[in-house]
Amino acid sequence: MGWSVPDAIRLALAIAGKDIRAELRSRTALLSAVVFAALVLVVFNFARDPTALAAVDLAPSVLWVTFALAAMVALNRAFTIERENGALDGLLLAPVPRGAIFLGKLLANLAFVGTVEAVTLPLFVLFFNVDLGHALPGILGVTALATIGFVAVGTIFSAMAVRTRFAELMLPVLLLPFMVPPLIGAVQVTARLLDGRPLSEMLGWLRLLALYDVVFVTLCTMAFAAVVDE
Amino acid sequence: MPPDNAGYMVAAYVVTAVILVGYAVSLLARARSAVTGNSVKREA
Amino acid sequence: MSGPTSARAFVRSGTALTVLALLALAGVYVLALGFTPIEARQGPAQKIFYLHVPAAWSALLAFSLVGLSGGLYLWLNDRRLDRFAAASAEVGVAFGVVMLTTGPIWAKPIWGTWWTWDARLTLTLFLFFLFVGYLALRAALHDPSERARFSAVVGLLGLLLVPFIHLSVYLFRTLHPQPIVLKPSAPSLPPEMLRTLLISALVFLLLYVGLVTIRYGLALAEEEREERLDAA
Repeated sequence: MGWSVPDAIRLALAIAGKDIRAELRSRTALLSAVVFAALVLVVFNFARDPTALAAVDLAPSVLWVTFALAAMVALNRAFTIERENGALDGLLLAPVPRGAIFLGKLLANLAFVGTVEAVTLPLFVLFFNVDLGHALPGILGVTALATIGFVAVGTIFSAMAVRTRFAELMLPVLLLPFMVPPLIGAVQVTARLLDGRPLSEMLGWLRLLALYDVVFVTLCTMAFAAVVDE
Repeated sequence: MPPDNAGYMVAAYVVTAVILVGYAVSLLARARSAVTGNSVKREA
Repeated sequence: MSGPTSARAFVRSGTALTVLALLALAGVYVLALGFTPIEARQGPAQKIFYLHVPAAWSALLAFSLVGLSGGLYLWLNDRRLDRFAAASAEVGVAFGVVMLTTGPIWAKPIWGTWWTWDARLTLTLFLFFLFVGYLALRAALHDPSERARFSAVVGLLGLLLVPFIHLSVYLFRTLHPQPIVLKPSAPSLPPEMLRTLLISALVFLLLYVGLVTIRYGLALAEEEREERLDAA
């Protein structure tokens, strides 16, 4: 392959930029994902008994279930748009490294899901009366770690699901088992952060999250070619 | 004295037999019909 | 060797193996129920162990082979690997159902609850979901090349997920120890129990091989029919 690493990175960024600009122009998907996340938070509020369980005990789980569901909605949208536009097919005709295309899609999806999370977090703080304060940088960090994991596997699975008739069902069925380890880790770390626990108590989980990201981003980058090429 | 829970044991042994034998039989039926069907041309 | 005759050969030899294995399974039933001592603390229900554990091992083996043959398929592009993966997945589901039904039936008398999120049961549940997802994807894809490639990726990724599930459930459990009334299996099994367990595991393995062989033959027959229809 005649592509050097910097060129491949430039390609990935170009693809990501194109997708992000397209999404910013239409904005409907972003808005629907945000509204969806907000509604999930509202449902959670009414789904619990405030006298039985303090908000702060459930808070990490509520936040992460909301993030996970919103990520799934966002991922489905991303490739559906792609299928409608057919832009990927044109790109695939050229001998560009498929891994770079995957990373570009991954970055665009991360930007999208990240934006939804960025809007959901303040809503969460508001609805559940959670005091983030000192925990905020940690929460941002663990959110980034876990989201990379979801979105890497979600990007490759949505590329496959979109070729089936019931893509909206197929993606969750395939993706949810893969979201569980990052989800467990994220909830554990978030709970400890909100409790003000020392870093030493979270290291094991953070290492798990980081390892998950490294393994699955690498694998999905390598496997993407098998999904888009004959 | 060991607890008296033989009922669970029987249930598990019966369920396992039903699942494994049931699957084997149904698989065999599908395989037989596919193999004999190939000697006859079929409509899609 | 290709053509309808080889599919028939697989089905025939698979049937012979399966019948043999099922007869042997009957033998295991007799051995476990009649000739293996009852565990004093857990009672007769402990004997479910001789079915649950081999079923779990077989399901895990089936799934590992789905993942491995998927990975090999992506590398070697040999259709036989894809056919084998499909066969192993379906047979694995059967063992998975045995695993998921005998698990709770065993848990109830021993632990007092039908379900517990201990590392073993949780992993069995995940394995089942991964199998189901894999088979659902295969069923939803009609182009053979797409189906083979996509399910290979899912199988391979799924196999690599298993250690992460195990690790996260283990980390979770060590932080949240659940009260355990009785230990499910003693750290060192008395020799007769070990013997029964190993014999049962071998019989389950034989059954796996027999069923996969039949299922492989079925896949081959279906492929040949589709090719004939396409040519017509």
